[in-house]
Amino acid sequence: MAGLRIDPSDATPIWSQIEEGVRRLVASGALAPGVAVPSVRDLASELRVNPATVAKAYQRLTDAGVLTVRRGEGTYVAQEPPELPRPERTRLLRQAAVRFASLAATLGVSAEEAAAALQFAWRSLGREKAGRP
Amino acid sequence: MIDPIRLEKLTVRYGRTTACADVTLAVPAGAVYALLGRNGAGKSSLVRCLLGEQRPSAGRAFLFGESSWKSRRGAMARTGVVPEDPDAPLAMTARQLDAFCRRVYPRWDSDAVAARLERFGVPPRTAFGRLSKGQKGQVMLALALGHSPELLVLDDPTLGLDAVARRALFEEIVGELADRGTSVFLTTHDLAGFEGIATRVGILKEGRLVVDEEIEALKSRFRRIRYANRLTETRTAFGTELDSFDAPRVRVRGWGIDAVVSNFSDESFERFRAIDGVENATAEPLSLEEIFVAVAGEEKGDKR
Repeated sequence: MAGLRIDPSDATPIWSQIEEGVRRLVASGALAPGVAVPSVRDLASELRVNPATVAKAYQRLTDAGVLTVRRGEGTYVAQEPPELPRPERTRLLRQAAVRFASLAATLGVSAEEAAAALQFAWRSLGREKAGRP
Repeated sequence: MIDPIRLEKLTVRYGRTTACADVTLAVPAGAVYALLGRNGAGKSSLVRCLLGEQRPSAGRAFLFGESSWKSRRGAMARTGVVPEDPDAPLAMTARQLDAFCRRVYPRWDSDAVAARLERFGVPPRTAFGRLSKGQKGQVMLALALGHSPELLVLDDPTLGLDAVARRALFEEIVGELADRGTSVFLTTHDLAGFEGIATRVGILKEGRLVVDEEIEALKSRFRRIRYANRLTETRTAFGTELDSFDAPRVRVRGWGIDAVVSNFSDESFERFRAIDGVENATAEPLSLEEIFVAVAGEEKGDKR
């Protein structure tokens, strides 16, 4: 999958890196709605990771409505952005924020610096999207 | 379900030397277990006992619930082995080896063997002894998978492989895991290569199994903590503020303290940083290789 980079030596579990990576590609428009994603076997082979790890990431993305499985055909990027109930959306967002904040804190970064990094990431996501035809 | 591999207090002694001592571990179905250890840590003795090639001095090894030493025949029909030193007869070609195995194993898939050899680019009509080291390993792997084993045992499989052959090996193993959920037990020095594939890691140090853990859990508890030196000048012992951590390695550098801790958590690190003088401490994750070096590579007298 073009644009999906993972680092097995990182402390973040690989399934989580794949999940985040696919989310980022979908959010930036690099993976368009309705596009087929590689099979578990192919992506595992490409990334040289355990297929069970890829399967776990795909399962979580499917549960979250980012991917959809068409039985017998394969796995695709969902046509519509996932319609999550507001409390669930808030919960997921806070969960991710806690992870980011803990990382920033363990790196010895101030809250302002961390917020600036988030702003920067948000803007570069927009740029990637704008750069697509 | 019976664990494909179980070792119970396995001990191997050679005279007064102990190669492995009291090693107990299990490889559950579907796991990829990577056994790590420096040269001479006891890996080879352990693998030989596991495969029933050697009798343990004490303790027992089981393959699919059967004692490896007493009754390995049934279990070996469900196991594929790639030995550290390719041991096929030198005069036989890959095709002849395949034909030989077909007569030995009730379920043998010659087409799959031929397909693998073609993927690897191994000539089927060249005598085994004239193949390169990488090609020999590939023939051994193709033969090991010929009877669709439930368990694959690999003894240092990437040793001596070039980058292309190494990639082909990983693809083959990943494909095998995806298609059939094969359980894998391997010894390796190629930590970076197997970091994303292994589910569980064991580390042998001087014959003892000092780590036996899911790889995710292992990586979540190890961190490198670094901080400036400004408080050590006034203290008699370096790094005493690290006492709340298990720190297998603490080094004093010109700029401060560089420590590896093995029981990291966000909460304990927060408490640590509340100590006067270490507010600027940072914690970084470690790769499997760095964890291995911290656990197994420590020289005597290095630990403080």
